[in-house]
Amino acid sequence: MSVLETPRILFRGNVAWDPIVTNNYTGLYDEAEGETVLPPAADTYEQVLAFRSEAIDAVPPDPNKPNQRNWDPQGTHRSVFFDLAAPDAACPDSTITDSQISSVDLGGGATADDPFVGAPARFSGKLVDLEPYGSYSSQLFFDAMTFGIDGGCRIVAKRRTRVTARYINLNRNPVYYIAGFASIVWQTSFLTEDLIIDAFDSFVLQALQAALGEPGVIGLTVRWVNYRTIYYDCPDLATDLTLRTDTANALVDKLRVNDSSGGGVWQPNPARSKMVGVIGLWREGEPLHEPGDRALLSTAPPGPPAKPPSVATGFARLDGNSLTLDLGSSMPETGLDLTKQNWGILSVVALDPSQPDGFVPLASIGYDEATHPGCQGYYARDYYEAQSGIVTLAIDGSSLSSTLPLQIRAGAKVLLDEAVFRAVPLVPNQYIDEGDPAEVSFQIYVNGIPGGGGTDVTVWAFDANNDVVPNPPSTFPWNGQAGPDGRFSVPVPSNVPGLVSYVPVIGANQPAPQNGLNPQLDTYAYVRILPADASVAARAPTWDNVYTLVLANWNAMAPCMDNWLDLHDPEQVRAFGPAIKRLTDPANLEWFSYMPVTRDMTAGERTLLYNFLDSPAPSKALGAEAAAPAQEAPDELLKASRFMRSP
Amino acid sequence: MILLQAKPLETIEDAYERLQTAIEIEFSTLPPYLYTKFSILPGANDKAASYLGDIVGQEMIHMCLACNILNSLGGKPILSKPTAQPPFPPIFPTTLPGDIGPPDGNPIMVHLLPFSQCAMEQGMAIEQPANPILFASAGSADDQTETIGQFYAKLDAFLSTLDPGAWTGADQIDDSQFFAGQLFAINSYEDAHRAIIQIVSEGEGSSDSPLDFQNEVSHYYRFKEMCLNQVLTKSPNPPGYQWGPAAFGIDWNAAYPAICDPTNHDFSHEPAPAQAAQAACNLAYSRLVDLLELAMNGQQGQLGAAVRAMFDLRKAAMVALQTPLNDGQVAGPSFLYTPTTGASS
Repeated sequence: MSVLETPRILFRGNVAWDPIVTNNYTGLYDEAEGETVLPPAADTYEQVLAFRSEAIDAVPPDPNKPNQRNWDPQGTHRSVFFDLAAPDAACPDSTITDSQISSVDLGGGATADDPFVGAPARFSGKLVDLEPYGSYSSQLFFDAMTFGIDGGCRIVAKRRTRVTARYINLNRNPVYYIAGFASIVWQTSFLTEDLIIDAFDSFVLQALQAALGEPGVIGLTVRWVNYRTIYYDCPDLATDLTLRTDTANALVDKLRVNDSSGGGVWQPNPARSKMVGVIGLWREGEPLHEPGDRALLSTAPPGPPAKPPSVATGFARLDGNSLTLDLGSSMPETGLDLTKQNWGILSVVALDPSQPDGFVPLASIGYDEATHPGCQGYYARDYYEAQSGIVTLAIDGSSLSSTLPLQIRAGAKVLLDEAVFRAVPLVPNQYIDEGDPAEVSFQIYVNGIPGGGGTDVTVWAFDANNDVVPNPPSTFPWNGQAGPDGRFSVPVPSNVPGLVSYVPVIGANQPAPQNGLNPQLDTYAYVRILPADASVAARAPTWDNVYTLVLANWNAMAPCMDNWLDLHDPEQVRAFGPAIKRLTDPANLEWFSYMPVTRDMTAGERTLLYNFLDSPAPSKALGAEAAAPAQEAPDELLKASRFMRSP
Repeated sequence: MILLQAKPLETIEDAYERLQTAIEIEFSTLPPYLYTKFSILPGANDKAASYLGDIVGQEMIHMCLACNILNSLGGKPILSKPTAQPPFPPIFPTTLPGDIGPPDGNPIMVHLLPFSQCAMEQGMAIEQPANPILFASAGSADDQTETIGQFYAKLDAFLSTLDPGAWTGADQIDDSQFFAGQLFAINSYEDAHRAIIQIVSEGEGSSDSPLDFQNEVSHYYRFKEMCLNQVLTKSPNPPGYQWGPAAFGIDWNAAYPAICDPTNHDFSHEPAPAQAAQAACNLAYSRLVDLLELAMNGQQGQLGAAVRAMFDLRKAAMVALQTPLNDGQVAGPSFLYTPTTGASS
């Protein structure tokens, strides 16, 4: 579906990630309470300063805190597409330099023969994880995405909702530092009325414009994959252990120099990833935020990260005599030079018990044309970069049932196996205030098509440690049936602050997924319940209270806010009151500039802040109690996720 | 168009001088561009504000790249020469460093102008290539003068003759923290050549395209778009672009009523808050200059402090632009430099 049909536009480039990661660690942040863990000090502001210093202390590897690697304590959360003015240090011959349109496909295969090719791809979002400790709930909040320039061939897409990450692949690259082993699929979609398309002489934009007028087409979907993430702008960190300490200490030196000069702190330390992506049609019924195509699930066991690399979940669309595969996140590399692992010839088959072998061979995918001549598609680096990992295969579909499950095999070994039924959440990540009504809703897809009315479903709930939430106190697992349209909704509790993922399993009374939520295999809806903090709301709206109970939390954690507002200055806070109210209004949660950037302000905190802004009486700071750190992660898959934070 | 004195470029010392001039030119564009950008009312003229911000960022990158080239060749970038004649950073209004103007005219006097058509015309004049694509040549450079593009071309030609051992790679600023992908170390002529292409391309486009090497509209044509309030638009006819028909969307009235050239204004009779606001702006600017100089001379960590100082300058400018003078107008930053203490480490 969607981006796997034509016309489609391919792009590639580089993304810089600059999130504050101090809240990834239990000793520094309590994700259930949404509170910075401030150290003891004489007053709240001293606590804030001590915390900032503690965050810097956490940058270098510490044998006493092996689960902590705070690589970007003064980030901005900004995540931008960028161009490379100089060759990629780890892969100088990569074709991925500028972030731009790389090719187009009108149905005859990817081609660079269109005026839109070469147009810049521009995006600036803020990377925020719904669950800061983990890596399954990343989001990019943004306002607009543009391809091309004003006055030229272009697409301007105004945000409907954030970009969502799913299907994180923890086995993409065996040579890595921090999360460099991973790849991840990002997706969002835009309604037609929120698009500006200036086609000029671009055939693909003309075709897209025409297609947007067809029945059932409601807009465009943009999907991309990030991989090969490099930290400290230094690929050698993957192999040089001494250098890791040296670069971390160099960053600390910068942070300390900055402090000592009296000018405040401002030393972001962005990481960088490669990117391949695709723009295509968004049809009614297709998920906005994650692939709803036929899901070819990885058969590789989960974790430990990147050892050994394996083929990760991909997606497929079967359309008559054409089979299109999205292997953007699937095929692992052998190292930082982005050479693809050679798995030999991969065969694509449709399982058919009526056949002597139990399957119908559909097509073959070789490594490259020189190694495996005559295949219908290839997956080596040059092909991958040219086609954003999308492989289109000509098949004989004349007598093929489209409902037969697909597999991708290397010899007899099954690498990817289609899950015919998938239940995809309608809203992938939700922030809910404690006590507010909440539910998670799903749409069932059968062979990538909305359907499955009446299907039995079991929904399991997992806590942030990937443990099953027991029953009681919860009402999970939930058992029920999809409605006639294949949709079902499940009320979820909101009486306990914290994070819960809801994982649907097709069938009645199904057991919980083994090892908990596995983002390669499972779909899931993530819900973060923020504390009500009614007692905070009830406090007198003095400056002492508002700083101690509200603002100190972000003054400590997010130095980036100092760029335009000193959260410790009551006069500034009052002066910017209207702006603060606008930027903290839950109705504006999707905004790029929403505050706090971490999106963990509770309703009680907001009430106290607004009461202060509406009142005329300032006063001075108090102390605050540090919240207790959460527990460490227990199971293997969760360790794999946390490993990205704590190598 | 800025025209520089064409000077001999035969020795490494000549190259040092040229590169120092390049650094001063790139830096000197920042105050006028920032003054214009700061003066846009919050929430108004978003596209213009964004483009002006992009241009400022690119000028910063150009300056850093010029510093990298100079450092790699064993030179020493200087960002503050307050006692020199003329002083640097310059006091506005002023001519840009090295600009001698055309033989039959005067060099461009660069002012601190609020958001206005005049400010855009000034930006065009600063960034104008020798032969803008859509217009007849207003006069190519003669033997005694050179445009910025020609200036860099000559520099590039000389650098290509240097022995590979001339490139030390010392004191380089890279993109590890700021300007992802755009700032890079200069360790060879090839790196320097790449940097010069980037600088010229982003300013002027190329001889046959208004777009820079990233397929974005280059500075000169961007200023022209804003000046005309028309989008530079793809066209089927040669040379491939035309002005409009779409409007750029400028609202010249959506700007603070800021005076021009606050440096020339006598603030001693203005209200105390206005004086304090000017002092805060000048302090933040001076601090920015001093921190940048440290950063460009081996203390890379100070670049982070300089960026922070830049934000302080923005905050101070916002206060200044909301603080009325006696006549109801306001004044943006004067960009007056005074050496600061405490910036050095």
